[in-house]
This record gives sequence, structure tokens and C-alpha cells, in this order.
Amino acid sequence: MRQSMKDLETNPKAVLKGIRNAFGVPALLLFSAMTGFGSMAQEQGLSLYISILSPVLIWGLPGQVVHVELYGLGAPLIAIVLGVAGANARFLPMTLSMMPVFDGAPHNRRWNYFLAQFISINTWAEMLNRGHQIKADRRMAYFLGFSLTCMIAGIIGVFNGYMLFESMPKMISLCLIFLVPIYFGLLMSNTIHPPFLLAFVSGCLLGPPMHLLTQEWGLLLSGVISGSLAFMLRNRLKGSGNIKEVNG
Amino acid sequence: MADSSAWIFFLSAVFATYVWRFTGVMISHRIEANHPIFEWFTCLAYGIIASLVARTLILPSGMLAEVPLWQRLTPMVFAFLGFYLLGKRLWVGIVFGETAFITLLWFGEISSL
Repeated sequence: MRQSMKDLETNPKAVLKGIRNAFGVPALLLFSAMTGFGSMAQEQGLSLYISILSPVLIWGLPGQVVHVELYGLGAPLIAIVLGVAGANARFLPMTLSMMPVFDGAPHNRRWNYFLAQFISINTWAEMLNRGHQIKADRRMAYFLGFSLTCMIAGIIGVFNGYMLFESMPKMISLCLIFLVPIYFGLLMSNTIHPPFLLAFVSGCLLGPPMHLLTQEWGLLLSGVISGSLAFMLRNRLKGSGNIKEVNG
Repeated sequence: MADSSAWIFFLSAVFATYVWRFTGVMISHRIEANHPIFEWFTCLAYGIIASLVARTLILPSGMLAEVPLWQRLTPMVFAFLGFYLLGKRLWVGIVFGETAFITLLWFGEISSL
């Protein structure tokens, strides 16, 4: 019998449960996505050390990609800082919105500054969707087990991509790269909360044109507009329970 | 040295990411737990991630840009069909999407010969 999320009595059990739940699609995704990143880093002449540390210290693929691309182009430092900041700005709303998950936990709140480093789309979605099924004082252990498994899978992926870059068939590289939009598209669309769904749909529609408008800040702008729109309409959405009415 | 400048660039990128996480934690510690800002920021996160997904799919950089747009969009439709019609299992959606993607690549390759 599988142990249910509610019955995790001790921290080691919660860590193990986190590892087990990450071991599967989430870890596979990180492995694949970071394999793609590893190939790219090798291609752009980044050293192996920095490539391996990138998923640990940055831990946000879009920013990692921007860093490598701009580094490869020989862009100035300020361009890299602004580019990475723009690409990874989602961590502000993600971190802020995830913190209430740890509210009832007994750990010193300063630890949250450490825990925030492990937030990724994967681990964020996991905690928002399932965090409440776990007892408050076991959530940190579960989160660390889940996130570290994803991170280690990512490190192995970078190493793999960096080493195999030249010998990997193009078809496989393409499939690995294509896995990322499929996975995040499915993961994020699967929400029962109407405002989040509206934010997702309008973000999808607005994202590409805004990116054409401004490459550095397009994603952020599009996200802020669609997210704020969804937030403003949230009471109407909850009242009617029908998204099409408001959206159409 | 070229080597030390690579580290400076990298650590700046690390800083440019962590500053967002740090600010997120800091704000969350200064407001009460059921403040509407939490829901607003969750909406923002959904909006940004959705924009990112759509951009990766529609305006990709690198290798994926060589694949024609319809060959990227069709597999995405299959992934959603597989996911939502067959019990919302992620791996089912992924298998559907990737199978369609490979199939189209395969035939695309043949027709371009």
C-alpha cells in the first residue's frame, strides 16, 4: 500500500515520499531539459564546472539559457544581468505565492530564504497542488526531498548533454527540447481555480506578440497583464463558474 | 583572464535570479497570511509561465526553430487530447505529444527529400 500524504509522521518519511514522487515524470523532465541545456553550454564554450553549477545556483532554465546565449555572443555584463533578471523574474511571484505553504511549519522563517532557492515551476506546482495534503510541519522535508531529486536529475542531465553533445542524434535532441513546452503546458493548464486558468490562457495568447515587441521584458509584461486581468476578474469568475462568459 | 570573467558573468546571472526569490520571501514575511496579494501573485506566475510556454512553442530559439510551426502545434494538440481525455495523467499526454512530434518529423524528413 502506498502511504498517503496525510500520514507522513516523521521528516525522513516525508523526505522519502518527496523523493519517490519526484522520481518519475518530474525528474525525467529535469533530466531532459538540462540535457538540452548541457549541449547548448558546450556549444557556446561554457566550462563544465559552470555548466554543472548553473542548475544548482540559478535553477531556472530560461535564465540559464539567456546566460549561456549572451555569454556565447560576448555580450556585456549589464546585458546578461538584465536578460537573466527578465527571464527569471517569475521567481518573485512564484516565491511569494508559495510561502504560505510553509506558514504553519515550526522552522525558523529565515530558512525560507534558503528554501526559495529550490523553487522551480515543477516544485512550485507540486507544493501548490499537493502541499496542503501534507501536515504543515512535514512540508519542508517533503519539499526538500522532491526538489533535491529534481535538481540532481538536472545536474546529471547537464553532464549528459555536455558530454554527449556531438554524438547525440538530432531527432533525440529535438524530442528532449520539445518535452519542455508539452510538460509545462499540461502542468499549468491543469488547475481547477478559474482565475489561474484565465491567467494561463491569456498568457499563452499574449506571450508571443509581447515577446516580438520587446525580447527582454516581453514575458514579464505579458504575464503581468494577463495575471492582473485574471486577478481583477476573479470574483466574477468564481460567481459564474464559467470562464467563456467573461473571456469571450 | 577569460576564465575569471566567465565566473563573474555566471555569478552575476546567479545574483540576477536569486534577487527575485529573496524579494519574494521578504515581502511574504511582511504581510499577513491571507492577503490578496498572494492570489494576485499566483495569477502573475501563471501568466508568466504561460507566456514562456507559448513563446518556446511559437517563437523558439535554437534547434526547435528549424521545425515548421504546424509541426510544433499539432503535437501540442495531441498532448492535450491525450492528457484531458485519458484521465489527466502527465506521462500519457507526454507520450501522445512526443509520438505525434516524432511522426511528423519523420514524414517531414521524407517529403523534403
